[in-house]
Amino acid sequence: MGTIDTEHRALCHALFDAIEREDLDGMRRCYAPDMTLWFNVTGEEVSGEDTVAAQVEGRALLRRRTYDDRIISTFDDGWVVQYTLTIVHHDGTRRSLWACAVAQVHDGLIVRLDEYLDASRFLPAGSAT
Amino acid sequence: MTDGEIRELCETFFDAYQDRRLDILDRVLADDCIIWHNVFGRDTTKADNLAGFADSYRGQRRRTYDDRIVDTFHDGFVIRYQLRGVQSSGHTGSLWICIVGRVRDGRITRIDEYMDSSKFYQWAGIEEGAT
Repeated sequence: MGTIDTEHRALCHALFDAIEREDLDGMRRCYAPDMTLWFNVTGEEVSGEDTVAAQVEGRALLRRRTYDDRIISTFDDGWVVQYTLTIVHHDGTRRSLWACAVAQVHDGLIVRLDEYLDASRFLPAGSAT
Repeated sequence: MTDGEIRELCETFFDAYQDRRLDILDRVLADDCIIWHNVFGRDTTKADNLAGFADSYRGQRRRTYDDRIVDTFHDGFVIRYQLRGVQSSGHTGSLWICIVGRVRDGRITRIDEYMDSSKFYQWAGIEEGAT
């Protein structure tokens, strides 16, 4: 288990570190060419390039985002990571939520990522969902 | 525990929830099991959850845990599934949920549950803000 476990953990950290640093090529290096991301908030699949584009668009909204307190568990063909996502808006407003992502990995690259979070925690207090 | 044993434990847990078998839930949850939910962010105990089980089904005719995708690791599992509910009114709804479970000696010691609470009212077929 040791080698695969270590490789999976390194891949997981590489992806989330790249997102934190807004390292778009770093994100791409983690993805297989046909990678898809599924999101429990929308129920839709998007491509790896869609996630890169979303990262660029996010710069208009956010000063910083960090993926903290990562708890990673690995299995033969993937991993699950539980983490705290903290975002800081340009006005300094800070919000956090707890999320998890399940990845399927082939040949050292992510082929699918399923992300689960509670979108209502990013809404301003008292706002409608 | 082997991969097969962990998968069987996971399926037994969700079947018990579906079938309202408190006796099986009592057996598969370790006495010191912690259940944590990303919506509330606080730990609850096995006793809390067994005591609140009947209330959690209030207004619901049936609940099924479908399309289960289970992956196991050395001390636990991750399961992705659809929670389908049929309310007493006949309304049906579905939620996507992911749970990470930790296991020890044939029992579940921790459950971390992740879902999007903004879909809950639609799932339950009730007006937003209603209880």
